[in-house]
Amino acid sequence: MPLLELAGITKDYRLGKTFVHALRGLDLTIEQGEIVALMGPSGSGKSTLMHILGALDTPTSGTAAFDGQSLQQLSENQLVTLRGRKVGFVFQTFNLVPTLSAQKNVELPMIFLGVPKRKRAARAKELLTKVGLADRIRHKPNELSGGERQRVAIARALANNPEIILADEPTGNLDTETGGTILELLRRLSVDDGRTVVLVTHDPEAVRIAGRVIRLRDGRTVEETANA
Amino acid sequence: MLRDFLVLAGSSILHRKIRSWLTVIGVFIGITAVVALISVGLGLERTITDEVAKVFGVDTFVLAPRGSFGAARTSEGSNQYALDLEWLRTLDGVLTAAAVRQRTAFVQGQPGPEGRLAQGFLPVMGLSPELITSFSSFVGSLEVEPGGRLFQEADSVVAVLGREVATRLRVDVGQTIVIAGDADKPELTFTVVGILATADDGRPQQGFTSGMPASATTIYIPYDTMESLWGAAQDVLVTLVRTAPGRDVDEVANRAQAELRARGSRVTAITYSDISSAIGTVTSTVSAFLAGIAGISLLVGGVGVMNTMFTSVLERTKEIGIMKAVGAKNSHILSIFVIESGMMGLVGGIVGTLLGLGLSAVASAIIGRMFDVRIAVVASPVLITATLGGSFLLGAVAGLWPARRASKLPVVDALRYE
Repeated sequence: MPLLELAGITKDYRLGKTFVHALRGLDLTIEQGEIVALMGPSGSGKSTLMHILGALDTPTSGTAAFDGQSLQQLSENQLVTLRGRKVGFVFQTFNLVPTLSAQKNVELPMIFLGVPKRKRAARAKELLTKVGLADRIRHKPNELSGGERQRVAIARALANNPEIILADEPTGNLDTETGGTILELLRRLSVDDGRTVVLVTHDPEAVRIAGRVIRLRDGRTVEETANA
Repeated sequence: MLRDFLVLAGSSILHRKIRSWLTVIGVFIGITAVVALISVGLGLERTITDEVAKVFGVDTFVLAPRGSFGAARTSEGSNQYALDLEWLRTLDGVLTAAAVRQRTAFVQGQPGPEGRLAQGFLPVMGLSPELITSFSSFVGSLEVEPGGRLFQEADSVVAVLGREVATRLRVDVGQTIVIAGDADKPELTFTVVGILATADDGRPQQGFTSGMPASATTIYIPYDTMESLWGAAQDVLVTLVRTAPGRDVDEVANRAQAELRARGSRVTAITYSDISSAIGTVTSTVSAFLAGIAGISLLVGGVGVMNTMFTSVLERTKEIGIMKAVGAKNSHILSIFVIESGMMGLVGGIVGTLLGLGLSAVASAIIGRMFDVRIAVVASPVLITATLGGSFLLGAVAGLWPARRASKLPVVDALRYE
C-alpha cells in the first residue's frame, strides 16, 4: 500500500478578489521510503500540493489518503494529530519560534502530543546531536547561522518520529556548501531510517538525491522521471 | 502540558519586555487603587469597631428607644420609654444596669443682687450612680470644678450642675436648688455637690455618647430621686446593661428586649455585634463605592491587556502557523494565549497588591496624624487572594477574544503570513 495516494485533486482558493485554481486534477502516489522531488515554476501549485500532502489543507475535490486513511473523513483535530505524529515539516525560511531555544523548538511537537518533559528533553538533545548541533542546544534561533537553523528545523521535523518529511525549498536560503550538508542529512533519513522524504525545490543539487522527480505546471503533473 | 504552556507564554512575555511591562503597569495602577482603597476602608472599620469595643466591652448592651437603631429606624414614636430598672436588674443573666431619664422641670436657684430668685424651666437628668462606677467608659472622664464631686450611690437629694446652668441659677457648691415635680409630688431641695468643669477650649465636656444634651445646660440628679418627683420612669433615654460573666450577651439582650416589650417598654436592645455590623455596613458600602470608581481604571487596564494581546496575535501569526503545523490544536493555541494574558494580569495583580498595601499604610499614617488617631493597617488575606485571583481573571478574560482569534487562524494562511 502506498504511503500517500492522491487522485483527481483540485484546489481552488481566493486570493483577494480573484479565484486561483492552484491544482487542477492531480494524481500522485508516493511509496514508503522514497525521496521525491517536486519541481516547477512558481505558481505551478507546488506549495499547495505540499500543504495537502502534509494535511495542512484539504483539497477542494478529489481523494487524498494517508496510509490508506482518507483525509476527508478526518475531523480538524484528527488532522492535527495525524500531522503531529506522522508528518515532519522543513520550511525554506526555517520557521523556528524565535523566543525559544533550539532544544525547546525541537521539543515543541512533543509538547503538543503530551510527551513527558524528561523524555522530551532527552529526545531533543539526541536529535540535535544527530544533526551536529550538540553544542548549540541552548541557543536561540537568532544566535544560529542559516544552516544551523535549518538543522534545528530538521531535528524538529523528526521529533515525533514521523513517516514522512516534507521539505519546502530546504536549501533555498542557504549557500551551496551548507545546502549540501542539509541535503545529505535528508538523504540519510531515507537511506538509513527508511523515512519518506518529499522535497519541493528548484535546486539541481536537491534533484540529485531524489529517486523520482515530478514536474508540475499549472496545477497538473507534466513529467515524471526516475533518477538512477 | 499546562506547565509547558506556562513556559511558552512566559518566554513570549519576556521576549517583548517593554510592551509587557507597559501593559502590566496599566493593570497594576488599577489594582493599586482598588487595594489601597479597600485596605484603608478595612483599617477604618477596624479602628472604629475597636474604639466601640473599648467603650462597650463585649459584655454590655444598650436599651435604646424602639426604632432608633438599624434598619427599623423610624421618625415615629417618642425617644423616651418606660422602664422598671429594679426589675431589669433581677433578670437572669444581668449583672448590673444603669439608666438615664430626662425631664424638663421648673427649677429655682439663689436670689440675685436685686433679690430676684433665679428660676426657669430646665432639663433635669436622672443618672444611675452605677453609670459612673460601673460604666465609666461610656461616661468618659467627667470632671468637676475644684471643691465639688460627682454623686455616689448613697446620695439622694444632691445635684451636679453644668457650668452654664449653675451660673444662670447663681449657685455654687454647697448651695441649694429647688426642683418641682409632678403636681401631686412635693418640691425637693437639692444640695449642689459639684459643678461640671468645662474643657480647656471652653466647650462643654462631651460626657455621654448617646444623644445627650450638652452637659453645660443640664442639671444632674440621682436616678432614684427622680421617682420622688415624677413617679415610675416613663421618660428613660438610655439604659446600659452589663451581663453576668460567661453569659451570651446577644441572648440576654434579646430576652431583655422581649420581656421589656411585654411589660410595655418600647425598647430596642443594641449589642456590640449590632453596632459593629452597622459600622461594617456603612464602611463597606463606602469602600465598595470607592473601589468601584477605582475599578474603572482596572477596566482600562483590561483593555490595555486586550490591545497588547491583539498586537501579539498579529505579530505572531506565523508562529501560530508553525505551532499548528507541528501539531498544536486550536485549544492549545487558545490556552497559550489566555495563559499569557492571564500572567500579565497576575503580575499586575502582585505588583498592584504590594503597592496598594504600601499606599494604604502611608494613607493610614497620614489620616491618623491628621485626626490624631491610630488607624489600623489591615492586610486582609481574603482581599489579597481575591485580588490576585481577580487580576489573573481580568487578564485571561481580556485575552480571550484575541486568543480565540489566534486559535481560529487557518494554518496555511498563518504560515504564509509575512
